[in-house]
Order: sequence, then C-alpha cells, then structure tokens
Amino acid sequence: MGKTVPCSVCGATATVHLTQIVQGQITKVHLCEGCAEKGGAGDPAVFQLAGVLSQTDIPPTLACSACGMNDADFRKKGRLGCPACWTALLPALEPLLGKIQCGVHHLGRSPSGVTYSPEQAKMRLEAARREMDEAVQSEDYESAARLRDLIRNLEGQIA
Amino acid sequence: MSVRDILSSENELTHMLGAQQAIVLSTRIRLARNLNDHPFPGWAKAAQRAKVTELCLGALNPMPKFRRAHEVRMEALPELERAALVERHLVSKELSGGKGGAALVSRDQTVSVMINEEDHLRVQVVKGGWHLRAAWHIAEQLDDALSSALPLAYSDRLGFLTACPTNVGTGLRASAMLHLPGLCLAGHMDKVARALGQDGLAVRGWLGEGSDAAGNVFQISNQQTLGLSEDTILRHLSGWVRNVVEQEENARLRLIESEGEKFLDRIARAFGTLRHARLLTSGESMANLSLLRLACDVGMLPEARRATVDRLMIEGQPAHVQLRAGTELDTEARDARRATTTRDTLADFPEPSAPKLS
Repeated sequence: MGKTVPCSVCGATATVHLTQIVQGQITKVHLCEGCAEKGGAGDPAVFQLAGVLSQTDIPPTLACSACGMNDADFRKKGRLGCPACWTALLPALEPLLGKIQCGVHHLGRSPSGVTYSPEQAKMRLEAARREMDEAVQSEDYESAARLRDLIRNLEGQIA
Repeated sequence: MSVRDILSSENELTHMLGAQQAIVLSTRIRLARNLNDHPFPGWAKAAQRAKVTELCLGALNPMPKFRRAHEVRMEALPELERAALVERHLVSKELSGGKGGAALVSRDQTVSVMINEEDHLRVQVVKGGWHLRAAWHIAEQLDDALSSALPLAYSDRLGFLTACPTNVGTGLRASAMLHLPGLCLAGHMDKVARALGQDGLAVRGWLGEGSDAAGNVFQISNQQTLGLSEDTILRHLSGWVRNVVEQEENARLRLIESEGEKFLDRIARAFGTLRHARLLTSGESMANLSLLRLACDVGMLPEARRATVDRLMIEGQPAHVQLRAGTELDTEARDARRATTTRDTLADFPEPSAPKLS
C-alpha cells in the first residue's frame, strides 16, 4: 500500500488526485470520493477553489460591512456575499487571484460611461500594444485593426 | 408562453438553420454581471432576490433583442420542464435547482439571460456552428445596453465583480461545443484534453460542469477571466479550436484509411442498432448517433441527414423523452420510447455506403 493523502476539503483519505498547470504554476488538489463527486472533479471552479476551501478552521479577520460576510464565510462557501466584499475582503482574495487568474488587474471592457484613471489607461495601452504585435504576427488583421482603434482611443485618454 | 413552445419552435441548434457545421456544433459566449448594492444570489434573502429579478426583467424586457421573448420563472415550472431547459442548455442546472431563479429567452433562442443564478445576471449568446466573433458582437451590444440600463458592479482595478473569484474581471466564458469521434476512437482525446488544460482551457462534457462526454461531444472554454482582455481570450480559444478541428480531421482520415472495411462495419453496426433496437439507453443512443453523425460528415450518409441526427441527440435526452410522452416515465419505458422515436425517424435513411475521402 502506498502513502495515503488527506482530502483537501474534508481530510478523509483522498482517492482523486488532480494536477493543474496554469502559466507554469503547478497546483495539486486531493479529494476523497465523496467530495470529488459532490463538487464534480471535472469542475474547474471547484478545482481552483479547493485549496481555499480547505482552510475552514482559520478564524475570521476581515468582514464586509455591507452584507456581513467575513473571510471565514468565504473560505467555507467559496463565493462572496456582495460586490462590496471585493473591497472589504480583498486582502484574503488577492493571493487566490494570483493563483487562479492571469493577473490581478482588469484588462477588459468597462461599462459604457466609465472612463479609466490615467494609471489604468496606461496599463491597458501597454497590454493593447502587446496584443497588437501578437495579432500582426499571427496575421489576424481583423483583431489588429480593432486593437489599433483601441490604442488611439487610450492614447487620447492619457494625453 | 410555455416551455413546450420554446422546445417545439425551430432554432439554430435543433434545425441547423443556415449553420451547417461538421465538427463545431455551436459557439457560446457567457457574461457574468451583477447589480451594485445588492447581495449576490447565494447570500441574499428571498425578498432581495425577488427585488433583483424585478429590476433585471424591468431593464431587459424593453430591449429590442427581447421583443416577444420567453420569460420563465424556475419555481413556477414542473421539474420535467426545468430539466428539459437544462438539456437544451438554455438554463443551467444551478439555476433550475436554485431559489428565485428566472430566465429570459429571446424569440430565436440565440440569447438568454439567467437571473439569480450564481450571479445576478448571466448573459448567454449561442450560435450554431463556429461563429465566435458574431456571438461576441451580440454579447457586446447587449452588455452595453445592460450597463446603460442598470448600475452594474464594476471596479476600475478588478473589472466586473462576481460572486466567484473564477469569473471576476471580464466575466467572460467563451466556449465551443465540438464533436470529436475521430480523436476518441483513435484514443487521443485524453492527450488533447491534457494539452488544453495545461494552456488555460477547460474541457467538459455535453452538459457542462461535471457531465461525461456522451456522444463524443466536448465543450472547450477559457478558464481565466482576469488579467486578459476579451480579445486575448477569444483569440486564445479560437487558435485552439482551429487546432483541435484540424487534429480531428486528421484522425478521421487516418481511421478511414487504416481501418478500411472495419470502419464501414462500425458505422453499419451503429446504424443497425439504432434502426432495430427496442430499448435504447441514453448512453447507447448517444454513442451510436455520434457514429451516424460522423458517417454524414464523411459522405457515408447524405450530409443533409446530419441535422436529423443532431435533433435525435437533443430529443433523446431523458426530460425531452418524457415531455414528449406527456408523462413521467421509468427508465425502461424511457428507453422503449427513445428506441421507437429513433426507429421511426431513421426509417427512411439510406444504408451507409463506403466513405468518400475528399
């Protein structure tokens, strides 16, 4: 018999072992049969959050004044209480975002009417320039044209 | 407007209206959005969820895209109808089993919005075949309309705020549904799924999270939503889908060339089973229909028959079979009904001939 590993969620003997590599970073999750079935071992969200969900015994240190959720509630549920939790519980969320996402800064679209701060616009501009180079290299001229317009727009916002 | 009307009306996926596609069955864009100052559905009380439903429906209903749309409240629906909507991918399992969920489905079923799923709003655009940019364009317009009609939860640094950290930022999940019998028969699917997983894409079965790959149908989608622009996400998915489609085409060619008569035998046996079985489980039916679909793709059956095969795949799912029968059925009765419908539908199909290699 080989060495047994505890389930990342409940501590029972794990029989399902998952490994995920995102941008060269390796994450391993071990699940018992029950937790694997309950969460769906094929569900990437469960997989990504299992590491956080395992730390259910840590007492809360942060709380959201808008909805009452604290960081221990989040570790238990894996879901936030309200949009304001993203500010109140951010210190607990940042390390997680670093693991499961491609960065901690939004580079996508914004609701119409929201303008970017100069710092944000600069970051987006850099990302857009990188993307345009990639698009041109892969001969994706449709994307390149769209990115060129975006770059002009962002340059206008910074100036 | 009842769920039966939704299920019986023609749409791109069941009738392949102008969207014939051999390998990519459909393209999907999903955006997660939330209202500012309202708790997320999983943490909200019933009254708060009800308020969100009214606010969202109030903003969505007047939009041109939702003229004469189907409005469904999950709790008001019988279980079978809810299950059939899940089988159609019009709502998720989570919405159908949750509290206070509602959905608005556009008349042509291209756009649906789930209210009070994990997030307040989940906008979904589905196109038959491979039309990522077209689907994205519709989603983008809808997103603009939403953000001018409702105060959306957004932060300059983190983007669109969602209940789960796996969706924050763009809130975008872009996916393609692929039929990959060639890669499955050749035993290469595990390798492909691993490569996709290592490059930030998730591979799931026919019904999404936690489902198996019935009928060799797989859904490929992006996993990361923050730190990437929508354009990057779409291009990344697009590149991989093109790659997988090419690998599938090659796998099919190799199978036909190397198996020869054995390949024709596989297809003929699948056809025989579907034409004559008196009891068909949903797994057996999907596996054999997948081979029949492949036969249509490689010229062993007329290509025009592919839409019929697709319809049998969709309508052979358990809740669909029972709704059609008008009553709840046990497993054996379902298998009998499924077999009857399949026999009747395939009655005028020609016998599969040898593959035509192009």
